[in-house]
This record gives sequence, structure tokens and C-alpha cells, in this order.
Amino acid sequence: MTRYGGMGRTRPKKLTSKASIPIVREHEIDLIEDEIQNALQQIETGVEKAEESEFHLQVAISAAAQGKVKDAHIPTPETVLSNLRYDELYPPVFSQPATYIRFSSTVEDCCGPPYCMNEDDDVFLKNFNQKRDAANQCSEDNFEEVMSFFELTSRKEQPYACVDNSPVMSFEEFQEAMDAAVDDSVKRFAKDIYDYWKSRRVSGGNEPLLPTPKAEAGREADDTDPYVCFRRREVRQTRKTRGRDAQSADKLRRLRKELEDARQLVALVRQRELARKEMLAIERQIFMQRSEVKDMKRKLNIKDDDEDLINQRPKKKPVEAPAVQRPAPPQLRMPPKTGTQPAEDLLLLEDVQTEKENEIIRDIKQNITKHIKWNEGYVDFTRAPLSPSPERTYDAAFRPAITTQLPTPPSSESSDNMTDSAIDTRSAIALHKLGPDAMELSEDPSKMPSFRRRIGRGGRLFIDRRNLAARCRVEMDPWKADRFKYDQEDSDEELEYERDQFDIQIMQHRAIMAAKARDQAAAAAVQAHAQAQAAQAQAQAQQAQRRLQAEQLTANNNSPSGGQAGGSNPGPGAAVSTSET
Amino acid sequence: MGGRDEANGTPDPVEKGFATLSTIRIGVKAMVQKDGELRKAEILSIKQRKDGPSFYVHYVDFNKRLDEWIASSRIDLSHEVEWPQPEKPEKKKAGPSNKAPSKNAQKRVRAESRDVSATPDLLTGKNANVGKAQRPSKAGGKENRGDETPVNLSFGGSEAVSADGTPKPDSDDVDMIDVGFSKDVKEEEKALGLMSREEEIERLRTSGSMTQNPTEIHRVRNLTRLQMGKYDVEPWYFSPYPASFSDADIVYIDEFCLGYFDNKRSFERHRSKCTLVHPPGNEIYRDDYISFFEVDGRRQRTWCRNLCLLSKLFLDHKTLYYDVDPFLFYCMCSRDETGCHLVGYFSKEKDSAEGYNLACILTLPQYQRRGYGRLLISFSYELSKREGKLGSPEKPLSDLGLLGYRQYWRETLVEILMESGRENISEHDLSLQTSMTEKDVHETLVVFNMLRYHKGNWVIVLTDQVVEEHKKRLEKEKLKGARKIDPARLQWKPPVFTASSRTWNW
Repeated sequence: MTRYGGMGRTRPKKLTSKASIPIVREHEIDLIEDEIQNALQQIETGVEKAEESEFHLQVAISAAAQGKVKDAHIPTPETVLSNLRYDELYPPVFSQPATYIRFSSTVEDCCGPPYCMNEDDDVFLKNFNQKRDAANQCSEDNFEEVMSFFELTSRKEQPYACVDNSPVMSFEEFQEAMDAAVDDSVKRFAKDIYDYWKSRRVSGGNEPLLPTPKAEAGREADDTDPYVCFRRREVRQTRKTRGRDAQSADKLRRLRKELEDARQLVALVRQRELARKEMLAIERQIFMQRSEVKDMKRKLNIKDDDEDLINQRPKKKPVEAPAVQRPAPPQLRMPPKTGTQPAEDLLLLEDVQTEKENEIIRDIKQNITKHIKWNEGYVDFTRAPLSPSPERTYDAAFRPAITTQLPTPPSSESSDNMTDSAIDTRSAIALHKLGPDAMELSEDPSKMPSFRRRIGRGGRLFIDRRNLAARCRVEMDPWKADRFKYDQEDSDEELEYERDQFDIQIMQHRAIMAAKARDQAAAAAVQAHAQAQAAQAQAQAQQAQRRLQAEQLTANNNSPSGGQAGGSNPGPGAAVSTSET
Repeated sequence: MGGRDEANGTPDPVEKGFATLSTIRIGVKAMVQKDGELRKAEILSIKQRKDGPSFYVHYVDFNKRLDEWIASSRIDLSHEVEWPQPEKPEKKKAGPSNKAPSKNAQKRVRAESRDVSATPDLLTGKNANVGKAQRPSKAGGKENRGDETPVNLSFGGSEAVSADGTPKPDSDDVDMIDVGFSKDVKEEEKALGLMSREEEIERLRTSGSMTQNPTEIHRVRNLTRLQMGKYDVEPWYFSPYPASFSDADIVYIDEFCLGYFDNKRSFERHRSKCTLVHPPGNEIYRDDYISFFEVDGRRQRTWCRNLCLLSKLFLDHKTLYYDVDPFLFYCMCSRDETGCHLVGYFSKEKDSAEGYNLACILTLPQYQRRGYGRLLISFSYELSKREGKLGSPEKPLSDLGLLGYRQYWRETLVEILMESGRENISEHDLSLQTSMTEKDVHETLVVFNMLRYHKGNWVIVLTDQVVEEHKKRLEKEKLKGARKIDPARLQWKPPVFTASSRTWNW
């Protein structure tokens, strides 16, 4: 520190960076003018020495010092809006992703063929295409690809072409360079465009047509040539040891091998896909030709067994069928070479058909076993069950009334009947009375109360029942007994009543009640206002719901069967029921 | 100090005399009409046109970006002109345009004795993109002690920033080893090189393909006009685009891939194929105005080379001598429906031996004076904070770079010093909070006359001017909204490079 302040006589204390310095306002200290210049001399600007004195920089600095912020700038050449048709060249295609962009493609990946046509090329291409028929026109893209191929290949093969005066590459050399990776369009047009490319290279002194900055070419002049840029940097030498040498050589060898493997793999995949493409093309061709044959046959009225329209093995009998083929299944093996047992590999219609049939049968079998598995431990007494029980007798058609839900809902045969809600509520009541007996549990399976559903004349649905509780009073645990206490009490008298359940009278009564309810509803609808009606309906619905809940509650308290009946779970009993005994 | 007067036109007795149009040659300093006044200008190049000769002039004591081609009528021959310095006796070369060879030779000499500190650093400035000259250039930057110190150094306002620096050619230690081991060999090589170079120059001179020898070329702007995005831009300096481009009236730059075309048709064809819509790297920062992308010079060699060629047009002291591999490029973009448009960037060494946190920095001319430069600088320090390092820009700074950095430094420091309740602070703490080096902190305080010795103690003085400007700034921010880098939006971890990725270049 060479700044002197205050008395200016004593050498100032050394200022260390860690020392805490008090912050004060200007008016709190005495101002000493002459120290300013002293101080500034110590500070380097960091600008090139020769440029520090530049007029505009000095003006800007002093203007800023005087607080004239607007004057404190250095004039620079102008930029103006371009008259380029920006919108055409830069289409609005960017949509910003929600997350930060991550991107690793290079410019080369994003720009297509690097060669871009100029006006001379337009003229050439126009002439070029005039001489060719419509199918063989070379598009601008094709042209650029060919030119890019020439440029890139010669850059690779003759990196110092413009320095060592090597001749322009011959077309034969290019042909050698054409490996599998070269596009077909390039191969098609390369020969015809080569002369044009050569003439352009020759006229330009074999300089590359792609504008590239001058690279170092190992010449002495490189060092001072201002156009030469982006030189390689000398690699920092690592300390050499035997171990490191062997190690890195090994690593390199392994890396090289792995890369080579990967390359091989890609090449093979490419080969396979090409073969497949070819195969598809041929199949298509066969198909087209067959359809031609078909038309021809029709036209000429040839009637034979159409053997020529389908694939077939030479020895086997042909199958009569349209010549539709299944697409080749996706598989990861190489299509075998043509010529080796062609017949073996033909896709035959009959095979396809049997295969399909087998598939269906297999499917059905599978489903059946699946179904049996689901219903294991249950017996399906519905009509035409999927998994028939082995000993299906008349008796077996009766189903024990186990008070659990059915494993699968009864077959859809009866669903029509059950949706008839008018009957539903009625029969629920009926069942409510009937239920307790029906749901009686019994230790002896043969004495269990059981039901059978059958369809009578006129499509009427019948539920038969037997072994009702009345006749199978067995010792039970007290809880169970308690559960069915009330059921047992009513059972006797109810039985009498139940027997008449399907009398004409009762059925008529039910029909009348249902009809009346409908009529009443209709009448109410006509009379009441829409609002009132809605309110009423809602009230009714609520009431009904409350009632239902209450019912359910009591039913649950009473017995499982009551619960089932009241809980709007229309079992088979929802239909007309009759008692067998 | 023979080299110095070539640019400064100061010192040493100069040969003066009257000249005619036909005797004017490269290196002559003449008075030239400019904006209604006469300015001393050095002739850097002469072209013969149909309507007479045209001269490329550099106005002495003005930045090179103002150099221009003028018609002979603007040269005032009624004043004496200064003739170029005679050649050094030992490097005598014949011919009127021989100044260049002599310079060339000087450079050679210098290159041979590059560790001698007495070498004039001016040459390095001139030959900024010429190889070996780089090394002393760095030293020159450090030895920039002022003997002709500007008065009242202080500034504010200019937002245009363009600092630049040069990639370090070699790490110093390796260099030393080189010199130590094989000095003799090298000198032999040099001698050989000298011979063939002079032959080369002779060839170039006599072949008539160029009016100048290679070392002079870079002093003349090579592109006339640039079309980029929505703007037409005037280049400021020479950039080593392909030599054929200097003939083009306008050079087209693709805004996204930064590819260059001297032909409109080619450019349009390219646009129809190019799918890039943002710099080819990872987005590491995004706010309402801008995004930052990190681009690795090693992975995106083409793009980064394109970027460097472009920025060289606006950075005098940038060197493209070496390749882009050892740098990361942090590119600031503004977004719209067409994509992320490059507004400015800075480059940063992957591993800076000198602790630089920034190598080159540029706001593209079409976006200058809008506060972008400040954002770039601020972002570079934000990265340093994330790294837990202190950083400083590589030297030399350009004039615009100096203004930009001083403004940023001052504002950043004042902001901390003005925090309410703060009564004292050490330079060390200031530097920790800002990631600025202690040297930068100290010098900023001194430059703005804030660090004073008062009654036996050091104090930081918040001068009235500083306080005033701080208030103004706060008001402006309130009015227009502050554009700042929000550290929370920076998704970035300091990248780690293995030794091999740093050294295994090819």
C-alpha cells in the first residue's frame, strides 16, 4: 500500500485482506484531493497497454467519472435490421419443453448433407435433369448428397489436397470409398455428377467446395498465416512407465475390439433388415402377379383348382382357399439364404389355417380350465353350465341353500325376468316370508334346504325348493338357534300360505297391485306440477330409502335370509316361486 | 522500443515529409478527413479500383473497430506524412512493402527470446492471432503497470461488454521444461523456419496474389457485412473465415448453427435443412427473459468453432490459434417461437491454472447496450460461487470489457456495502460474498476512490457519487424491473473432467 492519507507523513499500516475495515460516508472524513492520482497509478486496467490511451475509452471513463452515464459509451459500428425474409428462413417451430433442454446432437447431425447448392449448381442441375426422363430426375437433395459425398470423402482421403498439389480424386477412388453406408441416391447419380464436381474442384485449384477455415497443414508458414486457426494442442506428456504402457495398450485394444463388435453387429442388423425388405417386396410382387393371374383366369374362363394362387409344398395336396397370407411373424433370426430348401420355408396356407384352428381350440380349452378353477368347490346348476359337474342327476339340479353369494351370477337366461321391478318389490316381500325356512342350515347335506330353478311352459320361471327348516330341526349352537328363532316360529303357518303363492288369485292380485301402482304414478304425473312432482318424488325416494334401510336393519338383526330379501338382492326368488313339497 | 511507435505513432524521431498518392505506401501515417476533422491515420492496405486507389486506414489512438476503407480524396496531402520506420539493420530486406518482413523477423527474434521480459508487448497486441506471440501477450497483460496513467479513472453506464482473452497455449511448467531440454534444437528449427518463411513471404509478395504479406493481413477487416438472424451487422475485426469470403459483399450466418455462407442461395438451401433451434448443449439456466446453455468445445467442435469465428469478428484480442477443446461455452439466449437466439456468450477454461473464471465474453453487437453483458458477467460469477471458487476474467480486457467489468464490480460491491446495519467488512469477506478475487475487490475500491487512509486507519468511504448512483439504479430497477440472475434457477454442477479428457485431444 503506498497510499498516504491523513497527515501524510507516516507510513500507513499495512492493509491485510482479512482486516475488517469500517465503512463511512464521505462527509464523515476529511477529503484529501491529491491522493487520488497517486492511487490510480497503482491500478492496472487490464487493457492492452497500447489501447489504454484510446480516445473513446478515455472519454468514456472521464464521462462516467462525472456522472454523465449516457456519454460514457464507446461508439461501435452500427447494426441495422436486415431485409432478409426472416420468417421464411426461420420457421416458428420451437416449443419450449417444461424441463430444461438436454441436447447432445452435433451440428452435423442437425444439418443434413453439408453441401449447399449455389446458383451455378441450379443451372447445372436444370440441364442435367432435362436430359433425363421423368423417373430419373435428380432432386436438389440428391444432388447435395452426392456433392457432400465427394467433398467429405476427398477431405478424408486427401486432407492436404490444396497444399501438396495432389490430383483431384478419380471416380474409381470414390467407388472404392462407396461402402454400405452410402445412400442409394448417391450411387445412382454419382457417376453423372462426378464430372461436374471435378470441373469445379479443378477450377478452384482443388480447394474444398465446402467453406472451411484453413487448418494447419504442417507447413512452416502455418505459424504466421492468420487464416490458419484451431490448431491441435500439444498433448501434455504423462510420465511413462512400463505398467502404464501395457495397461493403456490393453485398454485400447479392448476398446477397439468392442467398437469393432458393435460395428459388426450394426452391419449385420442392417444386412438382415435389407434382406427382409427384399423379401417383403418379393412377396408383394408374387401377390400382385397372382391377382393378375386370377383376373386373367376369370377373363379366359379357366376353371381349375387354383393351385397356382397359393403357396404350397411340391408334394402335398393343395388347399382350397384365397391367397391371403399372414405377414411374417417378427423374429430375430436371419432370413435364410435363398436356394437352400426353398420349399421348406414357404409359408403354406393350410399350415396357417390349422395353426389358427389350433389356436382357437387351445384358447377354448384354456378358458374352460380357467373357469373350472374359478368355480372349484362350487357346483354350477345353471342351464348348460360351462363346467358341468360329473354326476349331474335330477336331484343334483337342486342347489343347497348356502347363505353365501353365488360364486358367479346365474346365467343371463333369467336376467330379463329379474329386471322387472314391479314384481320385484312384491316378490321380495313374498320371499321375505318364505326365506327364513329356505335358508335354514343343516349339518346333513342331503337335508339341507335347497332350490331348483326350472322353466315351465310359456317360458315361466319356476323355483322349486325342498328340505325346508320345518322338517330338519337339528341341534345347533345357541347363536345359530337364536338367529333363526323367529323364523322357526312362523314357519308352520307360513308354509300353508306359501303353498298358495302361485294360485291364480294371488298372481292376479299381484298383477292388479302392480298395474294400480303404475296407474297411480301416471295420474300423479299428469296432475302435479313438475316442481311439486320432483319434490314429491324426492321425498318418496327418501322415504323409500329410509324404509328400506330400516327394513335392512331389522332384517339384518333378524336373519341372513331376511337381509338377503330386504336388501334388494333379487335372487332367484324374485320370480314366481313354488314349493315342491 | 522499435515496435511501439508503429501503433502509437508517438516517440522516437520519425522521418517526415510530403508525399503524393503514388508514393504513399503501407505503414505511412497521413492526415485524413474524418467527421469534419483531420485525424492521423496509418495506411494498412491499398487496393486499386477503377476510380483510383482505395486505402484502409487505422486512426491513431482510436479503436481498430473504426478502421475503414477510404477514397484517396480524403487523404490530406498538404500535411507532412510520417514515413514508416526503417528496417532494423540486421534484418534488412529490400522493397517498398518490406515493413512486414521486418516485423516478421522481429517476431522471430522475440520468439527466440520469449522469456526476456524487455520485449515490447505491443507486438503481441498486433499479432494477437499469431502463434507464438501469445505467450508474451499474457505476460504483457500482467506487466501493464501504468506510466501514463489516466486521470480520474471512474466510469459507469456503458453496458456494452466485450472483453476477451486468449486461451493459454501451454501450461507454463511444460513450457519451461521444453525450453530447458531442447533449446538448441528449437533454435535450429527456428532458423530453418525463418528461412522458409522468408521464402514464403517472398513468394507471396511476388506472386501478386496478395497485396500484403501474411502478418499484415489480420490487421485489415476481411468481411464487409454480416447477415445474421434479423440483423445486418458490421464486423469489427479480422476473423479467419475462409479467405474466399473476403470477396463476398455479405456473409450469411445461420443464427442457430452459426454456419457461414458467402452465397445467398446456399444459405437458403442450408436453412431448409438445418433443424437446430438452440445451442447444441444442455440448458442450465432459464428465467422469463433468457436461457443459458452449456456447450462443450470437445463434443461440439463444429458449433464452437463457428462461434469462435463469429466472435473473433468483434473481439480484437481473441485468438483462434488453438482449438476449442479445452473450453466450455456458456451461451445466453433469448427465446421466441422460432427458437433460442444466441445473444451473447462467454467461454471458460475447463481447468484454468491461473484461476480465471472466464476467457472470452461477447454480447453480439445487435444486442449490445441492453444490459445483457452485465447478465453474462453476473452469470460467470454465479458459476464461480457454485464452484466455491474465486474468479477473475482472463486478461487483456478490451475497452468495452473494462467498462463492463468495472461497472459490474462497483455495483456489486456497493450493494453489499450499502446493506443496512453494516459497519465494517474485510476485503476477504467481500470477495467471499461475490466470488471476485481479493485483488479485484481491492482494485475496484481503489479505482473508485473508496478505500482511504484516514487518521491512521483504513476506511471504506461511500462517496456521495457512489451513493447517488446506487439510488438511481434502485429506482430504475423498480421502474423497469431488475434483470438479475436467480441462483435458484441455475441447474448446474461444476463439470468434472478426467485427466484424459483434458489432455487427450485427438
